Amino acid sequence: MAGAGGFVEADNAEAIIARIETKSSKIESLLKQYKPVEALKTALEGSPPKTLDERCKSANWIVVHRALMAIKDIEGMLNALDVEYYDILMKYLYRGLSTGDRPTCDQCLKIHEKLTERAGLGCILRCLTDTINTV
Amino acid sequence: MAVVDVHRFAESITCHAWSPDHSMVAFCPNNNEVHIYKSSQDQWERLHVLEKHDQIVSGIDWSSKSNKIVTVSHDRNSYVWSLEGGEWVPTLVILRLNRAALCVQWSPKENKFAVGSGAKTVCICYYEQENNWWVSKLIRKRHESSVTNVAWHPNNILLATTSTDGKCRVFSTFIKGVDTKDPKAGSPAESKFGEQILQLDLSYSWAFGVKWSPSGNTLAYVGHSSMIYFVDDVGPSPLAQSVAFRDLPLRDVLFISEKMVIGVGYDSNPMVFAADDTGIWSFIRYIGEKKAVSSGSSYSSQFSEAFTKFYGQSKATTANEASESSKSRGGVHDNCINSIVPLSKAESPKVMRFSTSGLDGKIAIWDLENMEEELGHQF
Repeated sequence: MAGAGGFVEADNAEAIIARIETKSSKIESLLKQYKPVEALKTALEGSPPKTLDERCKSANWIVVHRALMAIKDIEGMLNALDVEYYDILMKYLYRGLSTGDRPTCDQCLKIHEKLTERAGLGCILRCLTDTINTV
Repeated sequence: MAVVDVHRFAESITCHAWSPDHSMVAFCPNNNEVHIYKSSQDQWERLHVLEKHDQIVSGIDWSSKSNKIVTVSHDRNSYVWSLEGGEWVPTLVILRLNRAALCVQWSPKENKFAVGSGAKTVCICYYEQENNWWVSKLIRKRHESSVTNVAWHPNNILLATTSTDGKCRVFSTFIKGVDTKDPKAGSPAESKFGEQILQLDLSYSWAFGVKWSPSGNTLAYVGHSSMIYFVDDVGPSPLAQSVAFRDLPLRDVLFISEKMVIGVGYDSNPMVFAADDTGIWSFIRYIGEKKAVSSGSSYSSQFSEAFTKFYGQSKATTANEASESSKSRGGVHDNCINSIVPLSKAESPKVMRFSTSGLDGKIAIWDLENMEEELGHQF
């Protein structure tokens, strides 16, 4: 269903990338202030799942990855995160695991364990079966 | 709310159906036969074996008023069985399918039955008196993939279908000569056979198990992404709700009353969903009491071994409590529950008993006697 009904066309992708860049600078400043939880929340908000453009997705992934690696207190982070973001976070965790990069995978596995305890297997299922809203 | 009876009939059960007086059960033990068992004094004895299909019997339905059994199979055929002189006599129904038949249901008036198939079509079969045989009419349009479940609306004309393309559709199956047009309800446009009334795009993954509420006002169906969808006021402006839940996906649902739904699936434990006074649906609880276990052993022993291996890849994780490998599901069924069938008298608005069958070969009968007190909830 390329480019039809509800999906963002290539020209709007520029707008999204610009938005992601502003988000990225905000996140950098939050991380400098030792607020990694806030940073992750900002990164996950406004994730553009309904765009087919790979550049948008990659751009957003870089931002989320930066925030994810900075997290030390996983429990605290999950406490502060709203339930509706669990599914999106799980999708990014799997994207992280697919990179094969050791530190990224370590971090993603740690978060995955805690997130599964909270959100249950249904969360994982939703990531696996959702082929339309991918990150 | 408890299990009244559990019996393991076979290695695995594909589908089952009850006789009108609920004394006999017909099921397919995952092969090409249909076994009929009768219960007498706490013992189950096998009465009949219906052997006509060449491949797995994927759907069985037993009509309560006319006492006929319809079976459909992966061999693309369907038989209607009638009891004559103590023996079940089959009548072949030519469905004109080129793929397997997946599910079947008698209509409320039992003058038609619907068959969903892997050929992306739905067959509506009705009895032609003059020629003394069953004719099938196909709904060929619209479905983009296999039709996994069908459900009849109480008005005997509307049919809801779910498919592996993720969508739930409602069609009109009005057949001239078989159905009578209700002068008050429905516009002429809706009365055309095969006309699609509604298409619901709520799910991104395969959809299974669809049912109508007793009044026909609400529709519920499940998606493979551990979600259950409720649609109120089915019609030109429906009100849809998606409820995401914690655990493994469901395969089938049943309306207990207008406001309560039981879902069964891969968790081997039926789940209760209810709508509160404002009409918002949510997950209430599992039917069987789940022991309050610590988070480590809240998965079955299979899962905790897999998770240990998974997390063990990371050097930083602490050792999991894998030694507590309790078989914590500890419920009635050991494996996926495939279907749920109501066991109440047709006139009562609430279903007080139902039965479930699954891949573990067991059929369990559940009774909802003290449900209202246990839930503290009206239903």
